Amino acid sequence: MRAVGGLLVVIPLALALLGPLVVPDELTRGAPFAADHLLGTDFVGRDVWHQVLAGGRTVVLVALLATLGSYAVGVPWGVLAATSRLRLVDELVMRPLDLLLAVPSLLVLILVAAIAGQGLAVLVGVVVLVNFPDVARLSRAAALEIAGRPALEAMRMQGESWWRTSIVYTGRSMLRTVAADVGTRLTSALYLVASASFLGVGVPPDAADWAVMVDRNRGGLFLQPWAVVVPALLVVSLSIGLNLVFDRALRTRSEVRV
Amino acid sequence: MSLRRYAVRRLGLGVLQVLAVATLVFLLVRALPGDAAVALAGDNPDPRRIEEIRVAMGLDQPALERWWAWLSGLPRLDLGVSLISGRPVSEFLLDGLGPTAALAVLTLVLLVPVSVLVGVLAALREGGVLDRVLTAISVGLHSIPEFALAIVLIALFGVQLRWLPPTAVGAGGNLLAHPEVLVLPLVVLLARPICSISRLVRAGMIDALASDHVRHARRLGIGVTRIRFAHALPNALAPAVQQVARTTDWLLGGVIVVEAVFVIPGLGTALVDAVAGRDLPVVQGLAVVFAVTTVLVNLLADLAAFRLAPRSAGLA
Repeated sequence: MRAVGGLLVVIPLALALLGPLVVPDELTRGAPFAADHLLGTDFVGRDVWHQVLAGGRTVVLVALLATLGSYAVGVPWGVLAATSRLRLVDELVMRPLDLLLAVPSLLVLILVAAIAGQGLAVLVGVVVLVNFPDVARLSRAAALEIAGRPALEAMRMQGESWWRTSIVYTGRSMLRTVAADVGTRLTSALYLVASASFLGVGVPPDAADWAVMVDRNRGGLFLQPWAVVVPALLVVSLSIGLNLVFDRALRTRSEVRV
Repeated sequence: MSLRRYAVRRLGLGVLQVLAVATLVFLLVRALPGDAAVALAGDNPDPRRIEEIRVAMGLDQPALERWWAWLSGLPRLDLGVSLISGRPVSEFLLDGLGPTAALAVLTLVLLVPVSVLVGVLAALREGGVLDRVLTAISVGLHSIPEFALAIVLIALFGVQLRWLPPTAVGAGGNLLAHPEVLVLPLVVLLARPICSISRLVRAGMIDALASDHVRHARRLGIGVTRIRFAHALPNALAPAVQQVARTTDWLLGGVIVVEAVFVIPGLGTALVDAVAGRDLPVVQGLAVVFAVTTVLVNLLADLAAFRLAPRSAGLA
């Protein structure tokens, strides 16, 4: 299983990260949906293989950036709610998130993107917006649990500095929770980014992007299926692979701890 | 807490959520940077067109009044008028409701029995080959983007093998009259929810089978089948029911994508078209309908979960 998961991740990831380096600069344009290149040509006659090489970077980078962003916003958010001595602050900080969680995530994405316009930064922003409430909830729960531990109480009584108790100890203890959550977060970011790009949200319509390729070349599914199937398979493989790899990592971790 | 008190409190929360969501959508759309009417009029703003949009969107009135008009229009399904076709938004809703409701209801109807079956099968064979295969599949497919899965299935079953129609073109709005059109969309819609719910059922079932009350039932000499399905299963279902509600979030998102891939003229297609055409009243109306549906389903699921296992269901 491990080998399968690893392979499923490595192939699309290598294409996404190394592909843009080897793709030639000059674009060859031929007839649309022709079969004269390695994987044929796409809806405007570009070489599909070149598009595949160039098209993974946005999906992968946006998903990674959005995951990082979710933690950058969500962890301080949750810790603030957990450590504030006023209940009011806790409520004020956490309640609005329930609202955000009540709305379908793809809907938030479409809505915000419809208003904020195009651009990869918008896409990253929206995925962060959709993902950070979960991270905030998780961090709040983790921070509350840690703050109640005898070890922290002892440190406080010994007069350890705020820096050592709050940042060094709490931070290190929370790292485990965050590490267990990374897989879910990354795959959900990948899901959102790819689905949004497919719906034409946040990316230009002729972008070299796996999800956009699937959408744009759909019309030629009968003429030239490679232009649609190859990018779709790469997204599928990346998604399945990430899930399997992170799930495996999580399970071996918990087995070691027990 | 009695079921009635819980229901009243939960209903209050639901009403608040609906109000807040409607307000949020209103703010998102109306509080555009700059003048919405100018932005909407396009690259070549014609003053007359701008004025038209301004009146159609009620931008000539104060914000608070517009907010009130928007909220009070919701119960009457008065959601404004499309900027592009001039049709009332409620007509878009009625047109798209049929196909979308057919997809969503069929998915939910199939979802529960299939995932309970898969979960229980895995739980009863815990650690065995069947369990490991089912677990691997459900882990792998857990967050697979619907569009990618759909395209792979279309290419295989629609184009290569020609077993099923690749799109719903030709079926029109009446999907139920052409069941073969529905097979692939339903498989795609079911893939993610089945994975997450069957895993929950599996975990809940394993816990329940090891619990004190099941052990006690065994000591009383109650039959295995009766213990499994009358005593263990209800306890295993409570978390799963709440997850069913959470999957309506995915389901509504999934419906948007699936309708786009299979060319089904439902609410999702209407929404995507409206976004592409920057038809904000339609976007706003459809968004509220989607959001309110999610809130309602969550409400019902919380009540059902409370009924199944009053102790474990907290007031969310």
